[in-house]
Amino acid sequence: MHGGAERDVMAVMPVACMPQTNRQTAAACRRAAGCLAMLALLGACEGRQAVLNPAGQDAAVIARLFLGMLTGAVILWLLVAGLFLYVTVFRVSHMPRRWAESLIVGGGVLFPTFVLAGLLSYSLPLMSSQRTGGDGLVVHVRGEQWWWRVTYETPQGNRAVSANEVRLPAGRRTEFRLTADKVIHSFWIPALGGKTDMIPGRETVMTLEPAETGLFRGQCAEFCGASHALMAFEVETMAPDLFDEWLRHAASDAVPPATEAARRGAGIFAAEGCGACHTVRGTPALGRVGPDLTHVGSRHSIGAALLPVTAADLALWVGRTGHLKPDVEMPQYDHLLPDALLDLGRYLEGLK
Amino acid sequence: MRIVLLTLAAAVLTGALAGAAIVGFGLYNVSARAGHLPGIGWLLHTTYRQSVRLRAPGPDAVPDLSAPGLAELGAAHFATACAFCHATPGDVQSATALSMNPRPPYVTDAILDWDPRHLYWIVREGVKMSGMPHWPAARPDEAWALVAYLERVRAGTAPQPRASASRDGPAGLSFCAVCHDASGRSDWPMVPRLDILPADYMTAALAAYRDGRRDSGFMHQAARRLDPGALRDLAAWFAARPAGGAGIGGDPALADAGARLARRGTGDVPACTACHGPDRPAENAAFPPLAGQHAAYLRTQLDLWRDGARGGGVRSNLMAKAAQALTDADIAALAAWYAGLPASGNAGPGRVDTP
Repeated sequence: MHGGAERDVMAVMPVACMPQTNRQTAAACRRAAGCLAMLALLGACEGRQAVLNPAGQDAAVIARLFLGMLTGAVILWLLVAGLFLYVTVFRVSHMPRRWAESLIVGGGVLFPTFVLAGLLSYSLPLMSSQRTGGDGLVVHVRGEQWWWRVTYETPQGNRAVSANEVRLPAGRRTEFRLTADKVIHSFWIPALGGKTDMIPGRETVMTLEPAETGLFRGQCAEFCGASHALMAFEVETMAPDLFDEWLRHAASDAVPPATEAARRGAGIFAAEGCGACHTVRGTPALGRVGPDLTHVGSRHSIGAALLPVTAADLALWVGRTGHLKPDVEMPQYDHLLPDALLDLGRYLEGLK
Repeated sequence: MRIVLLTLAAAVLTGALAGAAIVGFGLYNVSARAGHLPGIGWLLHTTYRQSVRLRAPGPDAVPDLSAPGLAELGAAHFATACAFCHATPGDVQSATALSMNPRPPYVTDAILDWDPRHLYWIVREGVKMSGMPHWPAARPDEAWALVAYLERVRAGTAPQPRASASRDGPAGLSFCAVCHDASGRSDWPMVPRLDILPADYMTAALAAYRDGRRDSGFMHQAARRLDPGALRDLAAWFAARPAGGAGIGGDPALADAGARLARRGTGDVPACTACHGPDRPAENAAFPPLAGQHAAYLRTQLDLWRDGARGGGVRSNLMAKAAQALTDADIAALAAWYAGLPASGNAGPGRVDTP
């Protein structure tokens, strides 16, 4: 892969490489290869966490703004570069004083003023969509270190607590009320809209309107500590009727463990005091320090988009938190034997 | 100039050679019987006194030395760890102790010129090249018990270590009973009740004290006197004592706040009751039940947990995380509530209904 990229560079940059010594040539080619490799990363923009692949009204506006700006910037660049070429290559001579002065005033003052004023009057109104009210559903998201506490609130006042995952009805505008626990985070679902800071002791508000159903990914966009890079979340946009059904389920109590292994796991959950930090509604576990686990088995990920939700991954997480997520608040249960951890994983996986 | 430098170099070289010969050929006599050369004793003693004066904490650091049980606890430790050299008041020093060089001062002489803050520094830090050991634990609070005892010695009201009345029970019981009482229910508030603890927890705690994973000068001294098998028997014996009644120091005014915090926790503090009861969802002998435990002991331990100074068994990392967000007010409230609960495991007064 890397070798291939280097060969491509050699092919396109023979002139630049030739006059230098071999060592300099190699270094220059490596640098150029690195730049090309970064360009290749743009290919990743087709994924679930992509600004240029909008799946919501707000992201579409941002993408449109970006493309408009980009087009304008390219045209301006071509104009300036063309002018430069014209006076340095094609017409190398003195310019009459009047021409030069009107070029400076026209090209340096008047033209940018009109262009910038035009762009500003185009872009400013676009921000208002972020401020428009929601259709009723309010999602409270609190940035913790390093995970997301998510509470859904319906217009009827019903609440459902979840974590590390946001589900939204497609075609409806949902209001987000954002805050943070100890440090500033930033809430960002690139495919659905812009980012908004989450500030301790203060509530910031934004709205999002997904246009299509699908699975997307959000990420904390403000450096917040050791595991900032591991503070992500899954986003599922659903048909409104499916969403309403899901929300009713999310507000319900946990299902009792169904298998023998899960029952053993539930016993370990109680005996190890997991309920001191985690809530599993319908059981004595009422803790509020960590994520609500009532329906953890039905989520798309655990550990803030770190691992899939299988019994083995849950066991891995509980036994190795500190290895998987530096400085994580959750202590490591490495004193539990592998079988016990797996039973615990089976119990949690069954909390659909 | 050149001659001066050469003379100095020759003097330095001669001195170094002489020093190397004294050390290397064993020319210096280290005999305690022979004693110090004239002036050396004065030099060392003056260095010691000035060093203590410079380094002792300020007068504000001295806690309430009249706290119930504090001097008694100090007396018990003094009897096992200090009396061999310094003797208890009224006793004579052993001939062996008197043959040490420097000779350890008799207990009443040892405290003559020192304030409590100086005594604390000497007990906690020890004195190099004198035979005086430092406190056998890193935590800063325990040496005050010795200071409280020494102040009672100064006042002429030194408490006697209490004698154990029990004749039955496993080997070593009478030793444990000096502080913990044979019932496991000490009336010294800083000494934990053992009658409410499971045998597995106590065995693990004693093992942790013995190998230094849990820090306490009193308990390092105690746990290392007994062999591991005896520790298990003693833990089983204390666990079998009938438990009942509340602990010492449960302040009803703080109990409600303590109950709320313990049962529900907050966004930063886990719910204590999930592991420590009362009404815990499942039994686990690795977690100590706290209902009826003495408030002063709970406060000290929670302080140590919060400050990262408390070790223990394999689950100690859980509590280290759990205690890190506690405030002084939280600790006072939790200790007050738990101490006020009856040891049987019922919630008792201060119960709040969980929503």
